[in-house]
Amino acid sequence: MITVEKMLKIVEWTGLAVITLIFVFPFIWMMITALKSLPETVVFPPEWIPETWMWSNFKVAWSSGPFLRYFFNSLFVAVAILVLQILTMVPAAYAFSRYQFPGRGFLFGLTMAALMIPPQITFLPVFLQMSEWGFINSYIPLILPYAASAFGIFLLRQSFMQVPEELIEAARLDEASEWRIMWRIMVPMARPVLVTFGLFSFIYHWNDYFWPLVMTNSDAFRTLPIGIAMLKDAEGGIAWNIVMAGNMILVIPILIVFFVAQRQIIRAFVYSGVK
Amino acid sequence: MKKWGMVLLSVWIVAALAACGNQETSGGNATASADAGQNGSQSSSEPVQIDFWYSLGGKNGEVIEQMVKKFNASQDEVVVKPTYQGDYYENHAKVMASLAAGTQPDVTMIEIASIGAFADAGALQDLQPYVEGKNGVDMNDYIQGLMGNSYWKDTLYAIPFNRSTPLLYVNRDMLEEAGLNPEGPKTWEELREYARALTIEGERWGFSTPIDIWFYEALVFENGGKILTDDGKKPAFHSSEGIEPVEFWKSMIEEGIMKMPPGEKYNAWDVAAQDFTNQRVGMIFTSTGSLNGLMEQAQGFEVGTAFLPARKSFGVPTGGTNLVMMAKSSEEEKEAAWQFIKWMTDTEQTIHWSKNTGYMPVRVSAVESDEMKQLYQEKPQFKVAVDQLEYAKPRPMVPGYKELQEVIMAEIQRAIIDENMTAEEAMQAAAEKAEKLLK
Amino acid sequence: MSLNTLRPYLMVAPSLIIFLLFFIYPIFYMIYLSFTSWNLISPDKTFVGVANYVELFQSQDFRQVFFNTVIYTVLTVFLSLTVALLLALWLNKSSAIYGIVQGAIFSPYIISLVSVSLLWMWMMDPQYGLLNWVLNLFHLPPSPWLTHTDTALLSLVVVGVWKIVGYNALVFIAGLQSIPKDLYEAAALDEASQWATFARITLPMLSPTLFFLLVVNTIASFQVFDTVQIMTQGGPVNSTNMLVYYIYEYGFDFFKIGYASAAGVVLLVIVGVMTVFHFRFMAKRVHYR
Repeated sequence: MITVEKMLKIVEWTGLAVITLIFVFPFIWMMITALKSLPETVVFPPEWIPETWMWSNFKVAWSSGPFLRYFFNSLFVAVAILVLQILTMVPAAYAFSRYQFPGRGFLFGLTMAALMIPPQITFLPVFLQMSEWGFINSYIPLILPYAASAFGIFLLRQSFMQVPEELIEAARLDEASEWRIMWRIMVPMARPVLVTFGLFSFIYHWNDYFWPLVMTNSDAFRTLPIGIAMLKDAEGGIAWNIVMAGNMILVIPILIVFFVAQRQIIRAFVYSGVK
Repeated sequence: MKKWGMVLLSVWIVAALAACGNQETSGGNATASADAGQNGSQSSSEPVQIDFWYSLGGKNGEVIEQMVKKFNASQDEVVVKPTYQGDYYENHAKVMASLAAGTQPDVTMIEIASIGAFADAGALQDLQPYVEGKNGVDMNDYIQGLMGNSYWKDTLYAIPFNRSTPLLYVNRDMLEEAGLNPEGPKTWEELREYARALTIEGERWGFSTPIDIWFYEALVFENGGKILTDDGKKPAFHSSEGIEPVEFWKSMIEEGIMKMPPGEKYNAWDVAAQDFTNQRVGMIFTSTGSLNGLMEQAQGFEVGTAFLPARKSFGVPTGGTNLVMMAKSSEEEKEAAWQFIKWMTDTEQTIHWSKNTGYMPVRVSAVESDEMKQLYQEKPQFKVAVDQLEYAKPRPMVPGYKELQEVIMAEIQRAIIDENMTAEEAMQAAAEKAEKLLK
Repeated sequence: MSLNTLRPYLMVAPSLIIFLLFFIYPIFYMIYLSFTSWNLISPDKTFVGVANYVELFQSQDFRQVFFNTVIYTVLTVFLSLTVALLLALWLNKSSAIYGIVQGAIFSPYIISLVSVSLLWMWMMDPQYGLLNWVLNLFHLPPSPWLTHTDTALLSLVVVGVWKIVGYNALVFIAGLQSIPKDLYEAAALDEASQWATFARITLPMLSPTLFFLLVVNTIASFQVFDTVQIMTQGGPVNSTNMLVYYIYEYGFDFFKIGYASAAGVVLLVIVGVMTVFHFRFMAKRVHYR
């Protein structure tokens, strides 16, 4: 009996190892490739350990374009979006959760409609609009359309609704302003949701390729994913070692954040989706 | 665990920031001077800043960057800011979108077959006034064979810049080893025989070429055919002259002596070049613009170049891009743009450009210069493209061709990949679509 | 009007202005554009009625693009949900090792699609790629992956599934954990077989989660773009060209704004129908809570 159980255990552990390998090994392969020399990338069967570790690949990738600029842009855009989103979503969520006013249902319906319209549908008209206003080649088209988050309002509204009414009434009796109630009482109560949303928003915009691709045509405003994708355009064959080195620059921050805050991130993506 | 992660993260950020310390000085300067240029456009003593978009990556892109730097240093009236916008197709898309956005460059490279489309849309500036102006240039010094795609409806819109013809590249050592003439095959049938002789199944192909419209055009020209009727309003490639090239490729691929390099658009070119330098194929068609790069990368064998093998005659399209000026730029920017275009294509620069890339010099005076003559003597491979110009024709350039060329390419590829489809069916299908596009 | 009546409107105004400007208005603008012919730079847009739609529905390419999108979506959604459900049933355990595996399968989901695309493009390289080495290991013939019309779309499906399956599995696990334990205890008392327990308790209780994932995955897959743009550019021979990329191509490569907008409207309608479906379901789902 015990041996059968042991056998099963071994089978299951092997299975777990294989599964993990399928999802993790590509990243390891990225790392290995990033450290190879060019001739080592074009051998078959592939070599597992680079002969000399080409740390210089990172330098080559980094200096093949204004990568500091791309890096800064990615960070700036993602942070600016997050800050604006919080500034716009807190009052909106507060109003939707705590005020009765004519048109509330309709306005909330509009918000939900915005949640359902993906940027992949609206990019063409938004681009044309931005063009007419002369905003292309600035941060505006990268940031402004995302300055409010329907998803964030939706999440935060739910969380605000759970704050006991007595707490707000007590504050009003103390003659606290609505502004103060919002930021000093409601927001601290909803902190977990805000953290969740913050992780979600930051990762989404850090990773985003589509929107910056459409909205930028100058190095001054390009973000990291665009720069990385351009690495493969080098002439005379794709230098996969360099491309993978560039790729690491894009991936490592997210993997580290994931490593640090795995539980929150999984919750941010998984549970916010379910609710 | 968490703390450790935070430390890692901060180390990573610091390292990333530090890594670019060196390169930042140059990058920083570029933006600094760019800013200066923008502020300066109000007062006339400051230099005019113009944007130049280019579409060559890798080594050739570096040469362009260097040349722009040199231009900026050579005078103090104009500052050119170069931006790489991906390959030809990607650059075209970016240019078009930027025209709508009003963020267009002042000068850009446009692939020669697309000049009609851009000119027809009203995007390009008529250059004649600048050619005749006080800072004018003698157009007769530009090589006549390269001017075919510079005019649209009798108006001069573009100045030849990185210009090429397709060449047959051969691995001379491999050919010699196989007992073949290292000068390479001269006809289609010889090409087939050579490819057969060089092929080692599962290891090496004799021949490879991207299934690209450019090489297809070459084979059609050699076969005495045309892509479009002379008025550019109807397809002409669905004749036997246009079908045979596809059959030629298809039969060689089916026999296993020609490799169709995988990848979309220019990725396939890269694969072909890579296979050639790795000696996995013995002969390829590619642009003369890759000559310098391929000669540098080819380890342990001698690269030879030759005319594309003939059918009824030799024949090739010219290729590459011309420099154009945008109609939307201001007068001041146009003056500056013209100064830059003129400089980039003057005798001295075009020699420098040609030597460092393999593209053809665009000036008669450059071809006849001692410097080029000496190069041709030392490296005769460089001269083949220029000699081949004798048989060269311009590419079709009616506005619809920009889209049509992708249709033709797709149908040829379909014929080659799909065993049940004949070349004739594919070209008929392409012709039907062409009728609509050319209307 | 007093400040008090105005206040809630002021509070929601910043968000709503953004939504109106960048989500609602563009939809109408796009619908308008779809009835015009415009090349991006000429000053005027010509009204052409439904000509763009007629051209769209007559175009063989568009038909192919549409079917590609449908095939891609169906395969990606079906595979990722099935695999995710199996993984969820397997990994829904509390010991640490399962937590690690859960983290591992989830990790691709938070990585940029650019990275994922480049990485898989490299692994799928027909000559030097890792995947063909793996095939070789099992004595299977090498695959051309992205470079052949027969395999390119499937290759994109593989990438799509790999990216999203971990997310789906974790959502399933969350769903599994919300099933009341007493239901299982009751089943155990009845001595129901494992299969019966799964079919009569787990699956029905999981159906809201399943439906949620079905809708979300379908909408997301329908808008696939990054992998197409980076890995195949719609090729070879249009075999991986899908709706969003097609719109992008016609808008920015061929300057046919009206035509691209018409294709955009078609996409809008499809996503709209799926969304209505979603909402209906959300309304129904209240009963479960």
